[in-house]
Amino acid sequence: MTIHLARILTIAVLSACLGLAQDSKPIPRTANGKPDLSGVWQGGGVSLYGEPGLSKRPAAPPPVNPPPKREPVPYQSWAETKSKTFTATDDPTLACLLPGVPRITSMPMPFEIVQTPKEIVIAYESFHAFRIIPINDKLQHPNDLVPTWMGDSVARWDGDTLVVDVTGFNDKTWLSGTGSFHSEDLHVVERFKLNSDDTITYTATVTDPKVLTKPWTTGALLRRPANTRVEEYECIENNQDAAHMHLKK
Amino acid sequence: MKTPKLRALLAAYAGLILTAVPVLAHHSFAAEYDSKEVTLTGVITKVEWTNPHIYFYIDVKDASGTVVNWAVEGYPPNTLKRTGFTRDDLKVGDTVTVTAYRAKDSADRVAGREVTFPGGGKKFAGPAAGGGPPSGYK
Repeated sequence: MTIHLARILTIAVLSACLGLAQDSKPIPRTANGKPDLSGVWQGGGVSLYGEPGLSKRPAAPPPVNPPPKREPVPYQSWAETKSKTFTATDDPTLACLLPGVPRITSMPMPFEIVQTPKEIVIAYESFHAFRIIPINDKLQHPNDLVPTWMGDSVARWDGDTLVVDVTGFNDKTWLSGTGSFHSEDLHVVERFKLNSDDTITYTATVTDPKVLTKPWTTGALLRRPANTRVEEYECIENNQDAAHMHLKK
Repeated sequence: MKTPKLRALLAAYAGLILTAVPVLAHHSFAAEYDSKEVTLTGVITKVEWTNPHIYFYIDVKDASGTVVNWAVEGYPPNTLKRTGFTRDDLKVGDTVTVTAYRAKDSADRVAGREVTFPGGGKKFAGPAAGGGPPSGYK
């Protein structure tokens, strides 16, 4: 009887401890106390979630901190008209060109974050893109920027959230879907928040006063893909799609 | 013409929009391929384990006995490797059956879906038609 009671008590205490541990599970931190974002992450794709509806893997649990719902891009009326003139065959990535920010974050391929106290490096499998992001509390960009596909990124820590300020874009990338063009005035502010369930809530606020009526926010939930390392993706190697699709035009 | 089933699938995807991504990685499925599924059985003649998508080629005999060499496009190599479909799964000389979707611009090219190997095993070479939004997330 005593043994039985002791067992019940032990189970009760262990359960309480486990519950407590789950609720207050700390996020990993670097030596200087910042959230440790380092490692391989991915925003989606069959290699992360399995075949839609057919996967034998258990479904991913709902995130503790879901990203914002994606709304349509709020174009000025002339820009909305222009946006509709594009088709999928105009997609810059069809020609293996860099997807820009924030679009690259949701590509169905992994990327690795390397973190030091002075900079964050993101090495993307998709399109061989990389970003070297100095941590600079004033978010000061170099003054000699020439417009580029991925823009220029600088970062600061806002509490436990990494804030990345990106500017210096060319006007050749798309923000998200077909025809979502922008101007060289594009300015993106990204926020990377590491959560207790080992996910990152990624949000990007996009402003472009020449083209948009108001800021546009998009987001993604980043997870750690199992047993995955960032590997080579030489997109141009056998890119027959561009020719196939343009033949049709 | 969308079938109710496809509509349901698309609706299901709409719910996943935050994590939805282009399944063919860098181009629009709908712009390039038909959504009607066809089945091809043939002998593998060549394998291109390449980016941005793999291709393999199969000799398929039609009803009149004429052999046509079909090109089958699939996921990028890294995606296949990560989902358990390896380069060694496609062997020149093997007879395979492939469910697929025909290209809109070509009589002998398809987007491959499920491959049945000589031993009866099955693996997905590429996405289902409508299996996700095209190259963006709009």
